Amino acid sequence: MKKPKDLKPSTLSLHAGQRPDSDFGARATPIYQSSSFVFPDTETAAGIFNVERAGHVYSRITNPTNAVLEERISALEGGIGAITTASGQAALVLAITTILEKGSHLIASKSLYGGSHNLLEYTLPRFGIDTTFVDLRKTNDIKKNLKKNTKLIFGETLGNPGLDVLNIPKVSKIAHDNNIPLLVDSTFTTPYLMQPLSLGADLIFHSATKFLSGHGVVIGGLLVDGGKFDWGSSAKFKTLTEPYEGFHDMNFVDEYGPAAYINRARKEGARDFGACMSPHTAFLVLQGIETLSLRMERHIQNTRSIVDFLDSHQSVKSVCYPELDNHPDHKLAKDILPKGCGAVFTFQLEGNKETGKKFIEQLNLFSHLANVGDAKSLVIHPASTTHHRMSNDALKKAGITESTIRLSVGIEDCDDLIEDLDEALTYSTRK
Amino acid sequence: MFYFPTIKLKKNSEPIVFIHGTGMDHSVWTLPVRYFSRKKRDVLSIDLPGHGKSSGKLISSISGFSDQVFQLLDNNSIKKCSIVGHSMGSLIALEMASSQPHRIKAMSLIGTAFPMQVNDQLLQFAKSDVQKAIDILTFMGYSNQARIGRNKNPGMWMTESTRRLMQRSNKGVIYNDLLACSNFKGGLEKAKKVTAKVQLILGSNDFLTPTRKAVDLIDSFKNPDVKEIVNSGHTLMVEDPNKVLDYLIEAL
Ligand SMILES: Cc1ncc(COP(=O)(O)O)c(C=O)c1O
Repeated sequence: MKKPKDLKPSTLSLHAGQRPDSDFGARATPIYQSSSFVFPDTETAAGIFNVERAGHVYSRITNPTNAVLEERISALEGGIGAITTASGQAALVLAITTILEKGSHLIASKSLYGGSHNLLEYTLPRFGIDTTFVDLRKTNDIKKNLKKNTKLIFGETLGNPGLDVLNIPKVSKIAHDNNIPLLVDSTFTTPYLMQPLSLGADLIFHSATKFLSGHGVVIGGLLVDGGKFDWGSSAKFKTLTEPYEGFHDMNFVDEYGPAAYINRARKEGARDFGACMSPHTAFLVLQGIETLSLRMERHIQNTRSIVDFLDSHQSVKSVCYPELDNHPDHKLAKDILPKGCGAVFTFQLEGNKETGKKFIEQLNLFSHLANVGDAKSLVIHPASTTHHRMSNDALKKAGITESTIRLSVGIEDCDDLIEDLDEALTYSTRK
Repeated sequence: MFYFPTIKLKKNSEPIVFIHGTGMDHSVWTLPVRYFSRKKRDVLSIDLPGHGKSSGKLISSISGFSDQVFQLLDNNSIKKCSIVGHSMGSLIALEMASSQPHRIKAMSLIGTAFPMQVNDQLLQFAKSDVQKAIDILTFMGYSNQARIGRNKNPGMWMTESTRRLMQRSNKGVIYNDLLACSNFKGGLEKAKKVTAKVQLILGSNDFLTPTRKAVDLIDSFKNPDVKEIVNSGHTLMVEDPNKVLDYLIEAL
């Protein structure tokens, strides 16, 4: 009897979803930059349209290059399938709208990326989908806010900006006890640092713009279905358990079993909202994922050194990173993020808003911009940029002060990064 | 017994009955069921007792499963049908076609062999550590190539999809089914009694029911039509859905 030898993550990063191209033997994934695909005959065309045959029709819905990326991320996450989207933001919209509708409610973490927060707080309510924001560390608050129409719990594996570590085993248990799936944004951790599905999450999305790509040249998103959630176990998920008039009266749970969710997402959301990823982008994300484990290793190594450096620097008031024992989730992080807590974190300078501005302007290698997860090191001063509209009081609530700096540590030689930081610290805090 | 699509069968119809394998359910047949339904053929993709959406007690023998399928046909006044069976389902189909040959018009056996002897260690795992058994079945259920992916059905990761389906099976189902396969006797004699038109669809890279273990069975049928799908493993409907459908269209 053969012993199961499942391929390991670095191997999957290079191979999953792709075999040498059957026409010419191309080893790299070909870019099928084609809007549409020729049917060999009318009967086959009818068959593909009726989903009785596998094949591609139109690149808004599926594309052979994107399909490689979809399989690759599924393999890395231990999921059953995935959909590539135009952005991380589009992946979140697709994740929610596949199962929620007017009159639905979700519970989301208070510590979310600003874009996700905007969508849930301001935009989705216009479409009748309401969110209660909760500190997901407080399990009683989650339970207290569950309503009859609650259909989803959502948090980030590492929250924004305080790096709250999501207790996936605990939160998913509450979700499952109430027949609700848990969706996580795994952008900051990537499958290299954590596999949320194995901890109990049901759905994952990524901003592929970030660490998965690493090169900072594309915007893209991925939605992954774990295939574990039993959609038929309650009457909550009518989009999956009742015939869908918009697609051959399909009952997704009956026809696809564990794959009901991802099929509905593709056959409705990808088709109708149309936020698809270009095949060229999919190719570039694949190029990034090939080196994911090497890069993440280096990101973490550099981050740890810089956290140590800053933590003992006289011009730094405090550093917020879960591996430090003053972080509220220090113990949990040791448990579920043993390989590291990502490469994005904040610290407080001794000084004021001016000190923060001077510090950023003095940096040479760290680029001042609104992104994270590039191979190059990045920096931002939230109080004067992403959060500049907030009052001091509101900033405080979000865990941000006038002297908060956020770094996204890249994979340069760490000595160079530390020297850059040291110089800027000395300059900005000089009296 | 649950079957899909959930339609009322016409009187005197001669449906195609699809029978899934170990720990699976009707959802493995979604693609061919959609094809034959579009062609206005009556189709019954069943969940065997104790599987998928079917309630009822598990049945520990292939002949017991066969009786249940006949019972379903009788309850719907169906005299004749064609059958498609995968793996354990192929043994049930063989049992049906040999015990009541006049009722089966055509039959397609996918991923089949006789004897379908299950490794003792695997059986032991199925009893005591079902997750391990599922891992082994998933691993051996695909060709080496398919385990790397490149699904013809875009964006779906094959091995994990199969693992999830088996993980949904009720307690004891996998052990029950594997044991039923192992205990199935007299397959070659039964094959000789079959009068239906017979097709076998086999994967050249099948580790669970390797083609060499189907040779005796093939020799026991009268004029079987043998289709080999090169590079496919045991999970043929996932690994090469379009070829499987083309062959089924020929057979049925
Ligand atoms: C944690 C997190 N989630 C989601 C997003 C949104 O992704 P995108 O910009 O690709 O739409 C971002 C972008 O910054 C992010 O940081």
